Amino acid sequence: MLCKIALGNVRRVGKDYLVYLLTLTLAVTVFYAFNTISLQVDIAGVTEQNSGMGDLLGGIINGLTLFLAFVMGFLMVYANNFIMKRRKKEFGLYQVLGMSRGQVARIMALETFFVSLVSLVLGLVLGVGLSQLMVFFTASLFKTQIANFHFFFSFGAFMITVGCLLAIFLVTLVFNLRVVARAKIIDLMSASRQNENIKVRNPWLSAAVFVVGVALIGVSYARLLQDGLPYDGQPEAMTAFLVTTIMVVVGTILFFLGLSGFLLKALQAARGLYWRGLNMVTMRQLAAKVNTVSFSMAMIAMILFLAITSVTAGMSLASVMNESVERGTPFDYTRVLVYFGPQAVAEENAYAEANGDSTRYAVATEPIDLVEASKADTVGEGTADAHPFDVSQIAGGHVQVDVYDSTPLGADAPLVTLNQLCDATDMEMPSGVDSTGTAELGLGVVKESVYNAYLRYRGMDEIDLGANGYTIISDMGATLNDIYNAALAQGVEIDFNGHALRPVSDRVNEEASAFQNAMFGMNTGTIVVPDSYVEEANLPLYYGYLMVDYADGISTEEGDAFINELRTYHPITNDAGEIVAGWGSEATRTQSYESVDSMNGLISYLAIYIGFVLVLACAAILTIQQLSGVADASPNYRILAELGTPTRQIMHSTLVQQAIFFVFPLFIGVAHSCVALSVIVKLVQLFGGFTIGGAVGLTAFIFLVAYGGYFYVTYLMSKGIVRDAIRARHSL
Amino acid sequence: MPVLTQQARHAAGAAGVAGAPVLDVQHIEKIYGSRSNVTHALRDVSFTVNQGDFVGIMGASGSGKSTLLNCVSTIDKVTSGSVIVNGEDVTRLKSQQLTKFRREQLGFIFQDSNLLDTLTARENIALPLTISRVPAKETLARVTEVAGRLGIRETLDKYPYQLSGGQQQRVAAARALVTNPAIIMADEPTGALDSKNARLLLESFETMNRTYRATVLMVTHDSFAASYTQRVLFIRDGRIFTELRRGGSTRQEFFDRIMEVVAMMGGEGSDAL
Repeated sequence: MLCKIALGNVRRVGKDYLVYLLTLTLAVTVFYAFNTISLQVDIAGVTEQNSGMGDLLGGIINGLTLFLAFVMGFLMVYANNFIMKRRKKEFGLYQVLGMSRGQVARIMALETFFVSLVSLVLGLVLGVGLSQLMVFFTASLFKTQIANFHFFFSFGAFMITVGCLLAIFLVTLVFNLRVVARAKIIDLMSASRQNENIKVRNPWLSAAVFVVGVALIGVSYARLLQDGLPYDGQPEAMTAFLVTTIMVVVGTILFFLGLSGFLLKALQAARGLYWRGLNMVTMRQLAAKVNTVSFSMAMIAMILFLAITSVTAGMSLASVMNESVERGTPFDYTRVLVYFGPQAVAEENAYAEANGDSTRYAVATEPIDLVEASKADTVGEGTADAHPFDVSQIAGGHVQVDVYDSTPLGADAPLVTLNQLCDATDMEMPSGVDSTGTAELGLGVVKESVYNAYLRYRGMDEIDLGANGYTIISDMGATLNDIYNAALAQGVEIDFNGHALRPVSDRVNEEASAFQNAMFGMNTGTIVVPDSYVEEANLPLYYGYLMVDYADGISTEEGDAFINELRTYHPITNDAGEIVAGWGSEATRTQSYESVDSMNGLISYLAIYIGFVLVLACAAILTIQQLSGVADASPNYRILAELGTPTRQIMHSTLVQQAIFFVFPLFIGVAHSCVALSVIVKLVQLFGGFTIGGAVGLTAFIFLVAYGGYFYVTYLMSKGIVRDAIRARHSL
Repeated sequence: MPVLTQQARHAAGAAGVAGAPVLDVQHIEKIYGSRSNVTHALRDVSFTVNQGDFVGIMGASGSGKSTLLNCVSTIDKVTSGSVIVNGEDVTRLKSQQLTKFRREQLGFIFQDSNLLDTLTARENIALPLTISRVPAKETLARVTEVAGRLGIRETLDKYPYQLSGGQQQRVAAARALVTNPAIIMADEPTGALDSKNARLLLESFETMNRTYRATVLMVTHDSFAASYTQRVLFIRDGRIFTELRRGGSTRQEFFDRIMEVVAMMGGEGSDAL
C-alpha cells in the first residue's frame, strides 16, 4: 500500500522530481564513465607506451570521485529539499488522515529509493554508452591508436558508482526523515503559507554593500596582478596571497548580496524605465529572492572561476609542452653529465671521511669525452654477454657541449649574473626568479669553438665573436629571454674577468639553444665567449651534454631499443680514481614525445573531469533554485495574468530574472578567471610561449552548451509552471 | 490610449448619461463535465448593468454566483449566450484580445486581496497602469490621487505583509479603480475581513461608486455587504431567482428586505447562503 502511494507520488510530482532525476542521472553517468578510465587507457593503447599511466590516472580519478561525490551529495540534498518544501502540506495531510510518522517516513524513503533506482539504471546505461565513446576521446588526448576496440563494462566503476549513490541516498534519507520527525502537523499543513515571509532589505544598504563588494574585488585584482602567485612559498608572499584570496571571496559574496538592491536602486533612478511594463515586478522579484540565493550565487561564481581557471590553465600548459617539445628535442638521444663543483667536492669528501669511506671526490680539470665515458656503463651486468654501453654503435653523428660554471675556482661570485643584466638593462627582475637564490647564480659559460661545433653539427651558421665579443643562448620563455634580448640589443658591456665584452648579436637564438631532449626549455641562460678567456678565467666544469643522432641504417625503434636496454651506471673518475662527475638525465626523442603526450592527456583529462562535474553541479543548483523560486512566485504570476498582463510579458519577466541569475555568476567567474589566468600566463611563460586556444576553445564551448542547456531547461520548465499557474482559475 | 477613452466615457457618465448599459448579459449557460456527469452551473441567465450601478449578486454556495462572475469577467468561458460590455461581445474575443479587454475594461477585487507580495502598495496599485505602458509621471499621479480617496495614502510605501487585511483590500480596490475600468468585479471582497474592516471597505466601494461613478458588480453571501449596493440579484440553482432594488430606501431598510428574500430562499442561519 505504502509502495503504491509512493509510486503514485513519484508519478504525480514527476515535474518536481525531474530536476532531481536529471541531476542524479547525469551524476551517475559522469561517475561511471570517468571511473572506467583505467580500462579505457588499456583499450586506447596508452598503456603500451606508458604502463603506469592507467593506474596513475585511475588512482587520481578515484580520489577525485570521492571529492566530487561529496559535491554531488550536497547538491542532491539541496535538490531534495526543494521537493520536500513543496510537499510539506501533503505529508501533513497523511498524518491528519491518521498515518503514523513511521509510515509517512517510509513513503518518503520509498519515493527516494524509486527515483534513485531509476537514475541509477538510466545513468548506468548512459554511462556505459558514454565510456565506449570516451575511449576514442582518450585515444586522441593521449595521441594513441585504438588497437582492438571492444565493448567493455567496468565492474570496479560500477561498484564505485553504486557506492556513491548509496551514500547520497542515505544522506538524503536522513535529511528527509528529520523533516518529518521534527515538523508539527500544523506547520506542515500551513507550509505553503509560511513560504511567503518576505524580508525586504533596505535597498540603499544593499547598494552600499554592492559598491563595497565591487571595490574589494577591484582591490584584490590589483593586488594579484601586482604580487603574482606565491609559488616560491615565501611566508610574506603567502600571507599577502591569503589576504587577496579572502578579499576576493568576501568581495564576491558582498557583490551578490548587494546586487539586486543595486539594480533596484539604479533602475528606480530611471523613473520612466522602472514604472514601465513589468520592470518593477522583475526587480522586486529579484530583490525578494536575493536573501535566499545570493550566497549560493557567490559560491557558484567561485566554483565556476575554479573550473574555468583549472581547465584553461591545465589545457594551455599541455599545449605549451606540445610546442616546446618540438623545439626542445632536436636530437635522437641526449645524455647529461653533471660535474662536481668545488663546493660539492669539499662536502662529499668531508662526508666520506667522517663515515670512514675511502671514496674521494675531485674537481675535473679537463672536459670528459662522453662517448668514451658512456662505455663505463655495463649492459646486462652479471649475465654472460655483459658488455660496455657504446653509443658509437648506433650513432650516425654526435656532438658534445661542455658548459662551465661562471664562478672561477677560488672566487666566490660569478662573473655574469642575471641580476647584473637586469640592472644594466633597467628591467624588472621577473617574479618567480627574484627573492630566490637563482638571481645571484651565474650564467653558464661555453667556449666559442665548442658552440660553433654544435652549430655546425646542427647545420646552422657559425658565429664569430671576434676578439671581445659575446652572445647569450637560452631556450626559456619570454620572461627570461626578454632580459637577455634587451641586454644583447642594448649592447650591454660585460666585465668578464677583466675583459670588456660586447654582444655580437642583437637577440637570443632560441632555436640553437637546446642541449638536451626535454619537455620544457632547460637552458636557463648560457653566455658564449672566446675560448682563451674561458681558459684564462680558470672556470670549473658544470655540465657535459652529449647529443646523438642515429646512423642512417638504424631505425628509431632499433636505436631506442639499444638505448633502453638495462644498464648499470658507474661514477666517472679521473686518473687518480677520484670521482669527478655523475650522470644526469638522458632521453630519447621518443621518450620526450611520449611523456609529453601522456602528461598532456593526464592534465586535459583531469581538467575536463573536474570542470565538467563542477559546472554541472553549479548549473543544477541554479536550476533548482530558479524553479523553486518560480513555483513560490506563481501566485504572483496568476495575479498578473488576472490583471490582464499578456502571457508573453510575464514570460519575459521570468526570463530576465533567470538570465540575471545565470549570467551574473558566470560573468564574475569569468572575470576572476581572466585576472587569475593573466597571472598564471606570466608564470608559465618562464618555460615557453603560453597560448590559450585550440582545445580550450572547444572545451569552453562544451561547458557553455552544458550551462546554457541548463538555463534553457530552466526557462522551459518555469514557462510550464507559470502557464499552469495562469491556467488555474481563481477558485476560493 | 485606452485609458483616455475611458476617461472620456467617465466624464460622459458623470455628466448624466447614467443608464446606458455597460454590461448586457444575454441568455448565458454554463455546463461543466462530460456527457455522463453534467453540471448545469448557469441556466439562461440574463440581466443588464448600467453605467454607475452598484450591483450585488447573492446566492448559496454552489448556486452559480461565482461562476457567473467568472463568466462575465472572462476568466471562464460560457457554454452559450453572450456577454456584451460597452457594445462588444466578449465571448467572441480571442485569448489575446481577452487579455487586452481584461486589462482595459475590468478591475478585480478578490476575497484575499491578491496583492503581489514583493511589491509595495504604491507599486501594486500602479501595476495595471505600467502594464498598459502609461507614462510614469501620470501613473504616479493617479496612484496618489486614488489612494487619497480611499484613505490609504500613508500606507503607499509599505509592503502587503505590513498592512492589515482591510488595508490590503482597500489597496486592491485602489488597484481595480486606478485604470477607470468599465466594470469593477468584486468576489466576496469582505469574506476575509472583520466587521469593522468590512464596513470600511464597503464605504470605500460607495465612494468609488459615487465620486468616480464606477460600475461595481459584487458577489457576496453576506446580506450586510449586499445592503450597501443599489440592486441585488439573487441566484439559485444557476438561475436568477429574483432581484431587489434599493430605490430611495435607507441601507437598514434595504438590509431588512434582503434578509426577507434570504429567509425565503432557505435561511441564512442554516448556512445555506
